[in-house]
Amino acid sequence: MDAMTPTAPVLEARNAGMVFNPGTPDAVEAFRDVSFTVAPRETLAIVGPSGCGKSTLFNCIAGLLRPTSGSIFVGGNRVGDTAGHVGYMLQKDLLLPWRTVLENVVLGLEVRGTPRRASEAKAKDLIRSYGLAGFEAAKPSQLSGGMRQRVAFMRTLALDPDVILLDEPFSALDFQTRLLLQIETMSIIREQNKSAILVTHDIGEAITMADRIIVMTHRPARVLAVHDVELGQEDRDPVNIRENPHYNACFKQIWSELGAKVAS
Amino acid sequence: MAAPPNNSAASPPPGPALAGAGGPAASENGPALKKVWPANRWDPRVLILQCAVVAGLLLAWEAAVRSGFAPAYLYGQPSGIWLKAVNSIASGSLLRDSWVTFEESVAGFLIGGVLGTAAGLALWISPLAGKVARPIIVALNGVPKIALAPLIIIWFGIDIGSKIASAAILTFIVSLITAQSGTSRVDADLLTLMRSLGANRWQTFRKVVMPATVPWIMAGLRLNVGFALIGAVVGEYIAAKEGLGYLVYYAGTLYDLNSVWLGIFALMVMALVLDGAVTVLERTLRWE
Repeated sequence: MDAMTPTAPVLEARNAGMVFNPGTPDAVEAFRDVSFTVAPRETLAIVGPSGCGKSTLFNCIAGLLRPTSGSIFVGGNRVGDTAGHVGYMLQKDLLLPWRTVLENVVLGLEVRGTPRRASEAKAKDLIRSYGLAGFEAAKPSQLSGGMRQRVAFMRTLALDPDVILLDEPFSALDFQTRLLLQIETMSIIREQNKSAILVTHDIGEAITMADRIIVMTHRPARVLAVHDVELGQEDRDPVNIRENPHYNACFKQIWSELGAKVAS
Repeated sequence: MAAPPNNSAASPPPGPALAGAGGPAASENGPALKKVWPANRWDPRVLILQCAVVAGLLLAWEAAVRSGFAPAYLYGQPSGIWLKAVNSIASGSLLRDSWVTFEESVAGFLIGGVLGTAAGLALWISPLAGKVARPIIVALNGVPKIALAPLIIIWFGIDIGSKIASAAILTFIVSLITAQSGTSRVDADLLTLMRSLGANRWQTFRKVVMPATVPWIMAGLRLNVGFALIGAVVGEYIAAKEGLGYLVYYAGTLYDLNSVWLGIFALMVMALVLDGAVTVLERTLRWE
C-alpha cells in the first residue's frame, strides 16, 4: 500500500514478519507480510481478533523486538535495537507510585538526560495545557483512572515523539471516561501534529479516533482490509458519531470482517 | 502516613481544558483527589488493653505459683523476677549484658542487612550471576546456621566478633533472599516501558527496580530483627563471658529460672525497640 499523501510516510512497515523460536517445534508466527504506512499527522487504527499479534507488532515498531523478516522504518530510519524515537502508551498507565505526577511526566526526559529545569518546565506546560494544573505534587494513588491515563499520555508526549503508539490505552477505563479520553487524546495528537497508531478491540473507538483502519486476520496476522474513515473532526463527537451513517456502515463492515475470521 | 492533601484538593481546578472539544470534558466530574484512607491514629485503648493482658498473665502466673499449683523452681515467679530485675539494674549487670547483646545484634543486623540487600539487588543487575547464585542461595538458606558455629569460633574468636558474625550471617541470607525476590517481582510492563523510553539497565535499576523493591527490603529487615537477636544469643550460648544469651544460659545451668526469665524479657524489650527503629526507617522510605 502506498501512502495516501504525496509526503514521505512517518512510519512504514515493509513485508514485516515475526516468528518466535523459528525452526523449533515451539515456533509461533505472530504476523506475516505486514505492510502499511502512516503519513504525517495521520492516525491509523489496527483492529483484529485477540491474540492476533498486534502487541508484538507494536513492540517491533517501538524497537523492543526485531522483526524476523521485512523491516520497519520510522522517519526514514530502519528500526534497530535502540528505542526511544516513538512514544508508547499501554493499557496500564504504569505510573511509578512513589513519584508525583510531575516526576512521572519527566521520567522519559530524565532517562534522556535532559536538564532537570528544562524538563520540569516542559512537563508543567503539558500538565497545565491538559487540565491537571494543581496536581503536580499529587501521587498516582490519589488520582482517578482517567487522570492517571492522562498523566501517562503526558509522559509520552513529553519526549516529543513523531509517532505515538497507543496499545488499547483506554480499555481499563469506565465507558464514560473512555469516550472522553478518546476525543481528548485525538485533539491533543492533532494539535501537536503527531502521527499515531492505535491498537484496539473496540471498533467504535477505532472509527472515532482514526483516519484509517487496518483490519488484521487471525494469527499469523496479515492485513485483511484497509478502510478510510471519512469523518471530519467535527463529526467525531463520541455521542453524535453513533448516529452518523458512515460510522454505522464502517462498523458493520469491520464487524463482518472480524466475525468471518473469528468463526473460521 | 498519607501525604497531606495539597491546596488543590480543597478547590479542584476546572475540568480538563480541551482543544477543540470543550463540551465533553465539562461533563466529567471535575478532577478531584481521591480520598486516601486515613492513617492509623494512635488509639489509647490499644495500649491500655496491651498492659492489661500482660498484667493479667503475670498475675495469673504469680497466683499459680503462690497457690502451689506451679512450683517456682520449675517455672519461676514474677515477683522473684522483679526482685532480680531491681538487683541487677542496681548492680548495673543487666544493663551491661543488655548493651553487649544490643551491640552485637545491631552490628550484625547492619552488616548483614546492607551486604545482603546489596547482593540481592546486584543479582538483578547481572542476570547471569543471579542464575549462577540460585542453588548456592538455596543451599546457604537451608543450612542450619548453628552448624557453622565451629567455623565462626575459629575465624572470629570467642569475643564480640563471633556474635556479630553469626548475627550478620543470619541476616545476610534473609536480606539477600527478600531483596532478590523483590527485584524479580517488578512488573514486567514497567521494564518494557523503561526500554521504550530508551533507558539502559542501570537507569531502569535506579529509577524503577530499586524503589519498587523497598517494601520487600523493609519486610526483610523486619524479619532480621528476630534473626539478629537469634544470631547474637546463639553466639553467646556457644562461648561468652557476658550478654543476655550468656545470662540466660548460665542461669539455666544453675536452675535460676527467675534470671532466665529476666534475660528473656530483656530480649523481648530489645526486639520491640529494634522493630520500632525499623518502623521509623520504613516510614521515611515508604511510598505505598
